[in-house]
Order: sequence, then C-alpha cells, then structure tokens
Amino acid sequence: MIAMNFPTEARLRRVIAFVAALGVGVATYITIADSGGGAPTCLAGGGGCETVANSSYSHIAGVNVAVFGIIGYIVLLGTAFFANDLARFLGFATALGGFGFSVYLTYLEIFKIEAICQWCVASAVLMTILFLLNATRLIGYAGTTTTAAVPEQP
Amino acid sequence: MSNKREREKRREQRVQEESKVDSGERRTRLLQFGAGAVFLVIVAVVILIVVNGSSENGGDAQNLKEVSTVDQLFTGIPQKELVLGDPKAKVELIEYGDLQCPVCKAYSEDFLPQIIEGQVKEGKAKLVFRNFTIIGPQSAPAGAAALAAGAQGRGWEYIELFYRNQGTENSGYADDEFLTAVAKGAGVKDIAQWETDRKGTKYTDQVTATTEEAQRLGFTGTPSLAIKGPSTNGLELLGTPSAPEEVEAEIEKAS
Repeated sequence: MIAMNFPTEARLRRVIAFVAALGVGVATYITIADSGGGAPTCLAGGGGCETVANSSYSHIAGVNVAVFGIIGYIVLLGTAFFANDLARFLGFATALGGFGFSVYLTYLEIFKIEAICQWCVASAVLMTILFLLNATRLIGYAGTTTTAAVPEQP
Repeated sequence: MSNKREREKRREQRVQEESKVDSGERRTRLLQFGAGAVFLVIVAVVILIVVNGSSENGGDAQNLKEVSTVDQLFTGIPQKELVLGDPKAKVELIEYGDLQCPVCKAYSEDFLPQIIEGQVKEGKAKLVFRNFTIIGPQSAPAGAAALAAGAQGRGWEYIELFYRNQGTENSGYADDEFLTAVAKGAGVKDIAQWETDRKGTKYTDQVTATTEEAQRLGFTGTPSLAIKGPSTNGLELLGTPSAPEEVEAEIEKAS
C-alpha cells in the first residue's frame, strides 16, 4: 500500500542541508554588503538592492533582517543532521516562520519600498523551497524512528 | 520454563504495540502542532500586512521620495530665503501655503513646475512662498523649518520635498524626525544651524506674521496666490487658480 511516493528522509535531509547552506551564503552576503553603509550589488544593475538596503524596513531594532536570515538558515542546516521528531518539527517551524517572513518582506519590496532586490528574492525562493522540503519531511516522517516514509509502511 | 518464555514474548509484543500507539499519537500531535503553526504564521503575516497598509499616512522620514526630482527642478534657478528666481524679476508671484495642505501638495506637483520651468527660469517672475498655517499644530514648526532651510539657500527644495512626501493632514507625521529628514534630503548643509534657526523666534514669528497677513488680505484657504508687478494695482489677489495657464497669463499681464 503506497499512498504517496515520499523521498527517503536521508535524501530530504541532504537536500535541506544543501539549500540551507546556500541560504547561509546569500544572507551572509547581504549582511556583509550592507554593513558599513553599503548595499548588495544587483547582478542585472539598477538600484533595487540599494533602495531596499537603504529603506527603513531593512533593519529591525537596528539589526539587519539578513542577520535573522543567517540564524534561520543555520538552524535549518542543523536540523538536517538529526533524524528525530525534534529536528523535524524545529525544521518545519523555522522554515515556516522564514517563509512567512519572506512573504511579508516581498510584500514590503513590491508595495512599500517599490524596489526589488535580487538577493532578497533569492533568499525568499530558498526559504520557500526549504519550507516545502521541511513540510514534506514532517508529514512523511513525524513519529517514525526509521527512515521509511509513513505512507509506505504496510 | 515455557510459560516464562511465553510471558516474555507477550510482554515484548505489548511493549511493541504500545510504542506503535505512542508513535502514532506523537505523529498526530506533531502534525496538529504543525497545522497550528501554519495557521499562526498566516494570521501573523496578514496582520503585519494589514497594519502596514493602514499606516499609509505618508510622511515617511526613512523613505523620502523624489529627492533627485526636486533637486533637478531648482538647478540653475537663484533663490534667497523663500524667494525663487531672479531677484530683479519685475513680477512677484506670492503663494500663501501650508506645508500640511494636500491641495498645496497637488499645486507643487502639477501646477507650479510649469511656471517654475517657464517664467521663473526665464527671469520674468519670482516666486515667493509665505506660510499661511491653517491646517494644524504641526504646520507652524514645518513652516519655520522651511524658512530656516531658506536661510541656507535650500528653502524651495525644502518646501517641494516636504510636499512630495507629505502625509495625511494632522496625522502627526510632521515631527522633528520628518522635518530633519526633509532638511537633509533638501540639501541643507548645516543641520545644527538649521535646527537652531527653526526653533528661534525669528522664523516662528515670521510664520505668525505671514499667516496674519494672509488673513488680513482675506484669504481663507491654501494655497492662495497673489501677484505684484509694474502693471498691477499694488498686490492683486488671484485666489486659487485652477490651471497654470491662468497664472502664466496673469504674469504676462502684470509685467
């Protein structure tokens, strides 16, 4: 009886680790580029990244939002190294929070700041992928101690 | 002996079954928590967006718009205090305005640029801004801030940039932070001096004086225009013309 064809948890964890590592890279670049009054460089030119980095929305309580991104991606990276329910749920909750925050930041970019920063979009895409991966992991493997997906169990 | 073995076997089975039930319960609980978290995040994002959308009062000190547009508008035009254009221009067009007034904002964006780019730039007329503070308590400090910027030759940049970033009337946006942000955006060089000037009696008294002057002239709303030139009978009141062409014709008539 196979209801859904879930990827193995080991594979999900590998992909999560890879995408989270990319996320750490992107968020770190934004943080470093922004520190010292600079701004990330938009690859296709244009001042989108500069406008976004200089807007009031780029910092929360004086902390660059990308720093929160780094923390989130590191947590997600960490959860990929453990195959237990705590890691599954923590990964899901972190990715969900990050995804919700990315939705909000994208809204701000489009409707408030009226500028798009490619690096922020890249981070939002990575966080969306991580949310989907972690949701798949939680639904497929919550409560299990083996690496077999629940729907595949007889 | 065999009884003991059977008992152990049964116990193992029971433990296995119990752990299976535990695992199922844990899974259900985790998925319920997950669904709850999804719900909470959706609610949080919606609240954030709604709160942000409803705080659309403008006057965002952190995100001033059109700084370069305003700068370009006045490039190459002389100005002293709040007088824009050639000081020797024969015609004087006076705007009595309130920086918090939305109609004045519309004037500054759609009406005045045509006159500034045309007859003011050509030296036919000079444009004078006088505060007529009628909107609310933040109007007078804003007017004084413009006068203080005028002392450093950036008065018209200040007025125009304020208008382009104006918030909702009396929503409290025109606070010290906003006034300072506009001063910086308008290119006021010595912010400390501007800060001292705008709070000094010289400019706050001037705001009161021009407001009283506008009332004496019989104006009741902003913006109100008046014109003075070689062909006018002293100061002539134009009220609030509806098209820049009307003002252009008045300037021609007055010169």
